[in-house]
Amino acid sequence: MSPITPSVAWLNLSHKPIRLILLLSGIVFAVILMFMFTGFKNALYDSQLQLIDRLKGDIFIVNQRRVSLGIPMQIRRQVLYQAQGYEGVKSASALYMGEAFWKNPETKLVRLTRVLAFNPEIPLFDFPELQDVAELRLPNTAWVDRLARPELGSIKTGTVTELSDRRIKVVGNFTLGNDFASLNGNLLMSEANFQRYFSGRDPKEGNRTLNEIDMAVIETDPQFSTARIASVLQQQLPKNLRIMTRDQIKVWERKYWQESTNIGFVFGILTIMGFVIGVILCYQIIYADVNDNLRQYSTLKAMGYRNIFLYTVIFQEALLLGILGFIPGIVLSYGLYEIAKVATGLVFQMTFDRSIQLLGFTIIMCFLSGLAALFKVQQSDPADIF
Amino acid sequence: MILTRWVMYFGHSFTVFMFNVVALSNLVHDRTRLLVGIAGVAFAVLLAFINLGFLGALSDTAGLLYNQLDADVYLISPLSLNGTSTKPFPKERLYQAASQASVAKASPLYINYGAWRNAENNDALFMLGFGFNPKDRPFLLPELKADSATEALTQPNTVFLDRRSLPKFGPQRVGLQTEYNRRNVTINGLFALGGGLAAEGTVMMGDQNFLRFFSPRTLDRIDLGLLKLKPGADINQVVLSLRQRLPSDVTVYSKADIIARDRQYWLETTAVGFIFSLGVGVALIVGAAIVYQILYADIAKNFKEYATLKAIGFHNRFLMGVVLQEALLLALMGFVPGLILSLSVYQLIIQATNEAIPMVMPPDRVVLVLGLVTATCLLSGVLSLRKILVADPATVL
Repeated sequence: MSPITPSVAWLNLSHKPIRLILLLSGIVFAVILMFMFTGFKNALYDSQLQLIDRLKGDIFIVNQRRVSLGIPMQIRRQVLYQAQGYEGVKSASALYMGEAFWKNPETKLVRLTRVLAFNPEIPLFDFPELQDVAELRLPNTAWVDRLARPELGSIKTGTVTELSDRRIKVVGNFTLGNDFASLNGNLLMSEANFQRYFSGRDPKEGNRTLNEIDMAVIETDPQFSTARIASVLQQQLPKNLRIMTRDQIKVWERKYWQESTNIGFVFGILTIMGFVIGVILCYQIIYADVNDNLRQYSTLKAMGYRNIFLYTVIFQEALLLGILGFIPGIVLSYGLYEIAKVATGLVFQMTFDRSIQLLGFTIIMCFLSGLAALFKVQQSDPADIF
Repeated sequence: MILTRWVMYFGHSFTVFMFNVVALSNLVHDRTRLLVGIAGVAFAVLLAFINLGFLGALSDTAGLLYNQLDADVYLISPLSLNGTSTKPFPKERLYQAASQASVAKASPLYINYGAWRNAENNDALFMLGFGFNPKDRPFLLPELKADSATEALTQPNTVFLDRRSLPKFGPQRVGLQTEYNRRNVTINGLFALGGGLAAEGTVMMGDQNFLRFFSPRTLDRIDLGLLKLKPGADINQVVLSLRQRLPSDVTVYSKADIIARDRQYWLETTAVGFIFSLGVGVALIVGAAIVYQILYADIAKNFKEYATLKAIGFHNRFLMGVVLQEALLLALMGFVPGLILSLSVYQLIIQATNEAIPMVMPPDRVVLVLGLVTATCLLSGVLSLRKILVADPATVL
């Protein structure tokens, strides 16, 4: 008896191809809904990590009291020299971060930007565009993120405008992307220029010197264990430092945005609602299908097939619908992610884990709906139908 | 002719009456299905309300500060993004403005962000700080207007803390000692302002304390100039004349205009506005899909009956009426639980965020969502109708 069941489920579904397409489009819609909500949620979190992903380094040192890269709290530059004294440390370089007002060259309106600064002699970032740093060494120059918000106006190479009331020339573009702390966009400059723009400002904006760095980035010798060097540094360097490996700093950064902002809460609600809406849509679809074939089911029952056989058919239909709907759903979502990526400058990633998770949700969604539709079949009495 | 008209007239009122009965019975016939349909529409309504709620909160954030300030006219640097992200301008502008006959009181407000130490876990978080001369009493908040507050604000190294600051800033207790901008600070009082979606935590302090915490800032460059006019003064007149007299390093706004300026900033220059508007669109699509499914299934199930009605002489218009009324009924039946659910979710959000996010339900939002849901449901009704219109009694029966 059981070998024939898959074909019953399939035949039920494929009997009316147009109807099947209608059914599937409902499920595809639910899948897209879930992908978009989780996509936005993950994008907002993943975007926080893109800066770390672009840094070349194995160990990262920040102030113990710092809660996130987005919330400033500096450490002393001496840490770099202290760290360099340990065996296995290949290089230690400083990352400076600051906020500065950028004047839109067209509208003359000012907008806040995030400035990232480093020593151009040591390759700290792995931007492919950043091969030739010669022009960054010149005074009053910077690179501007291609994905910066349009409020900045023209950011093309050669643009001349003002940053912190001082002249600035754009000498190149790179691609990083936006996050909660990048304000209207990222600028990249040499540490010598950082000092120019961040000293002698209005006291309100705060003045910075090169003695206070935002993060020390350490590259280790591949012959040594990174974890071991990190633990040695943690023991021997001053206690006001937080020393993290690449994995640890990603967990640390992500955790801050997850726990201390309302974003997770908002998108959590929306994702759950996407799922519930999916169940409702899917229930309607499977119910309508069961309803259409009620006569046939009753006939099968009258012929002596047990309820369990009918259950199997319905669950197989649910499974088939789930899988068949998921495939176009994921393809379309992928396209929508690409569009959203361009529109917002956020990171929309469709990882294998997340796709599998949503496939699971889709199948559960179809099963729940199948279960609800079952009540209907169970009630079907062969005698009533004819 | 006349007779025919009478018959038509009676027939018409008869069908109007029939509409409700048929539509309602069709829906009520299968209870489970009706419940699922109502739940679906209710969820779509909830989704729309939540998104509009966040959008509204973003827009209301703009008014939170100004509505608590005792001033009619505001001076702000044209380079300031909004009331919490300001660029200082010379204090002389305030004195120039104060020379106008209709100005009763002119007071400066100083604004700066500083790192606040959570006293429990030592985390350093950015807290918005307002500084003012305690004798000016620029805020309408009762806790800051009291005589005792004026006295308390002058004590060195103290601040008043917003009770609506997020919990991550640590305990909120008068007398608690911690650090603000790397300097010891004692909480000397509490008030309730709420930063909305702009500031997560707020403190207020006397101007002398502001100098201590934000050295090297000085008091001769101010962030916001507050002008209170004499009773009976024409606000717009004052704004216009100040705009003409003052140099261009400062702009002059009435209360309503400065709130509108901030609102525009929050809605237009943050991606949040885009995300929530998208959410409303998604909610409507969901509602439309669910109602379409229900109506389509209903038509498929009752196809014979509809065909029979046609065969005994009912017009397409009658059948259309039935389906559209079903759509309307679904919209209304789903809207009510959706609205009630939304109100409780708003309450939940207010509690979860320590009253920081202002989620309110203005009547025009209720009307808007009701209108949108009704329109969406009717649209799906029209889409599902096609099958009936072409139904030929002869082939069905």
